Amino acid sequence: MYQTHKTYITPEMKMAELINENSKLLLLLEHFEIDFAVKDKSVKQVCEDNKTDLAVFLVFGNLYNGFFPDINEITALEDISAIIRFLKNSHRFYKHDKYPELKSFIVQLHERHNSEDILLIEKFFNDYFEEVLEHLDYEESIVFPYICRLIEDGKTALKNSFSANEYRDHHTDIETKLTDLKNLLLKHISLKNDFSLRRKFLFSLFELEFDLNVHSLIEDKILLPLVGKIEIKPSNG
Amino acid sequence: MDKNRVNIAIIEPSHIIFEGISNVLMKFKKDFYLYRFNDLDELKLSASKENFNVAVINPSAIQNRLADFVKLKNNCQGILWIALVYSFFDDEVLQKYDDTLSVNASPEQIFNKIDKNNPSTDKIQQEDLSEREIEVLVQMVKGLANKEIADKLNISIHTVISHRKNITDKTGIKSLSGLTIYAITKKIIPLDYNSI
Repeated sequence: MYQTHKTYITPEMKMAELINENSKLLLLLEHFEIDFAVKDKSVKQVCEDNKTDLAVFLVFGNLYNGFFPDINEITALEDISAIIRFLKNSHRFYKHDKYPELKSFIVQLHERHNSEDILLIEKFFNDYFEEVLEHLDYEESIVFPYICRLIEDGKTALKNSFSANEYRDHHTDIETKLTDLKNLLLKHISLKNDFSLRRKFLFSLFELEFDLNVHSLIEDKILLPLVGKIEIKPSNG
Repeated sequence: MDKNRVNIAIIEPSHIIFEGISNVLMKFKKDFYLYRFNDLDELKLSASKENFNVAVINPSAIQNRLADFVKLKNNCQGILWIALVYSFFDDEVLQKYDDTLSVNASPEQIFNKIDKNNPSTDKIQQEDLSEREIEVLVQMVKGLANKEIADKLNISIHTVISHRKNITDKTGIKSLSGLTIYAITKKIIPLDYNSI
């Protein structure tokens, strides 16, 4: 469940205090390309200084803190390109940060335990991440360019090139496999020793799971409805 | 994760009451997922995509639209409809619900009402697979479709599906590749099996 932290973020709150309360907000800052040294600034100041859309920041920040926005808050978001930038940065995080990190944990586990089980986990993880990368590529090469074109000139010619339902299915599949991987490690695969390595591996998986969870919420429940709104507009007006 | 997740739709105009009920539910540390809607139409729209287990609705949202409510209720099977009551409403309105919840209820009472429809609470979780489940698992891992498994083991497709569900409930693993690894580590199938 992603509803764990309870402070509802408002513009006047101090950024540093919020991070102290929920350290996962560091991921949020990183995806927004905001430096962690936030000094004594309020959320609003931090956004202004970094030219980040405040409304988008508040909605996403509150998602990280466990609050799902209501429909009015979602439809009021205007800066779709800020959303896309955020999502692209998260992709970079999965690909160039999480993936090598998890991979190195598995390699280390493998070095220390020459067991078949670790080989299997490695294989599962590789297949899983291949699927993730495929999905991220799909978003970057089809979905995001489509949306960018849509915001720029309202063209909908490419509409058929991606299906929102297929898109959501990908997400479910990715979440399922990650849960499976965690459950294999927690419930079924027994290794002796190496507590700290396995703990680091699991922590890293949990972090990935949390961020991916918020990521798909943003895409499915915020981005797609917003895009749907623009797609409908031309016929209305 | 989604196995134990309880999706709760809430229509409650008062912000304070909504926050209050969210807080009470969150304290129980269950996998409750709250969705707040402004009216019946929003809920209806979402109900076609999302699987809700429970809907907690302030009767003021339905009292002038009883026909719509009954229709929605009939269309959405498996949802427990609960009225959240803190002012006077006609019996005729309240009878349309499955249950009522008073705003004076204790956290435990609230929890018990809402958790009643939790798909996983009525089952005792035990990890060991039955012999039949293992047979189904082996065929699944070989890549056989439900129909083929049913034919091979002389059982109905319905039974196959219910075995599959139990396998996933017991192991916590849903994907075929994950189940393959499970089967190998538990020595149900040999490692050199070419399906991994």
